[in-house]
Amino acid sequence: MKKSIYILNDGELKRESNTLCLIMEDGKKFIPVEDVSELHIFGELNINKRLLEFLTEKEIILHFYNHYNYYVGSYYPREHYNSGYMIVKQAEHYLAPELRIKIARAFVTGAVKNIRQVLVYYKNRGKNLSETLEYIDQLAPAVDKVNSIEELMAIEGNIRERYYGAFDVIIGDPDFVFNERSRRPPQNQLNALISFGNTLLYTTTLSEIYRTHLDPRIGFLHTSNFRRFSLNLDVAEIFKPIIVDRLIFNLTGKRMIKKNHFQKKLGGIILNESGRALFIKEYEDKIATTIQHRELGRHVSYRRLIRMELYKLEKHLIGEKEYEPFLARW
Amino acid sequence: MFVIEVYDVNEKRVAKVLKISRKYLYWVQNSVLEGEISEANYKKLKMELKRIINTSEDSVIFYTFRTTRYSQRESIGIVKGGESNIY
Repeated sequence: MKKSIYILNDGELKRESNTLCLIMEDGKKFIPVEDVSELHIFGELNINKRLLEFLTEKEIILHFYNHYNYYVGSYYPREHYNSGYMIVKQAEHYLAPELRIKIARAFVTGAVKNIRQVLVYYKNRGKNLSETLEYIDQLAPAVDKVNSIEELMAIEGNIRERYYGAFDVIIGDPDFVFNERSRRPPQNQLNALISFGNTLLYTTTLSEIYRTHLDPRIGFLHTSNFRRFSLNLDVAEIFKPIIVDRLIFNLTGKRMIKKNHFQKKLGGIILNESGRALFIKEYEDKIATTIQHRELGRHVSYRRLIRMELYKLEKHLIGEKEYEPFLARW
Repeated sequence: MFVIEVYDVNEKRVAKVLKISRKYLYWVQNSVLEGEISEANYKKLKMELKRIINTSEDSVIFYTFRTTRYSQRESIGIVKGGESNIY
């Protein structure tokens, strides 16, 4: 599978001898263009239109992040799988309230069940999580009953709040306490990890959407507005617990990420350069990990699972097969 | 599949071979490149190279592996190049 390339250093990226050339302080590096699916740019990088034209031709997306690791935007090349039919179908499902809530509900159900699965895993390893699980089990059936997107998001919010509260029990490390969910900017180390992990997952999902007929601007759970992509936020909900959260438990559990991987900035706490590089590496390894897929009977990577989720959504929209969210069973 | 490419070609064509190979593989050191490649791209690469080399004078060798699981890569001295996805 083609790779995602992360550029953390400053420099210049340009087209040279029909491939990508990264010019940094310590010299030129060539990146094989045929092996690249997307570029994540964190450093101060100079680019020109010639490069953008070349990337469009090769169907490579650019994701930009600012100095504080916040997602800034993407260069989303002219769609190569442009399908008017799919956009019409997507809009139809967005505009009809009963069709829209059906899909939104599926996203929340998937997210909640996967959250539960993560908690069950740690409960079986002797962590005291019975109370949290009980609370979630009590609240979860309400997802099928609600009739408005707002109520649905409220339930999801409550469950997620309780779930994040359980992070302290799972991690049990005084260096990484949760307190409360804080964003823009995150107020402590754990929140910084969650924010950064979610950001990476959102962009990964967006890159996968680019390779389908779907339009990332029309989401179902998250309301479409004039600026943001929202479909990628919807689909990422399902995978946050099993990709990002598990990665965080892994990193803290193995003491790989330490206090000196963070820095104070902008009235909050964010990952510094070495912490960012470490997290990205582990994240990339994680989404490249393959699991045995029951229905397909073969191994698929987490990245591929995200793409398959989108194909399932496409099938739902054209009325071929009802969408069912991916549920982790381990 | 994973491939290691080594080439020994007339000086006149060294730059051309390098230029083509760099589109598909990661440069490791002089005349050596490696990387994960799809079947289709592997064919494309060979085709492009065939077009410019002189088959009676030049030599390009590919070592291919279905996976890298049973091989090891050990290097001594400075590392000049190689595969990476974080820069």
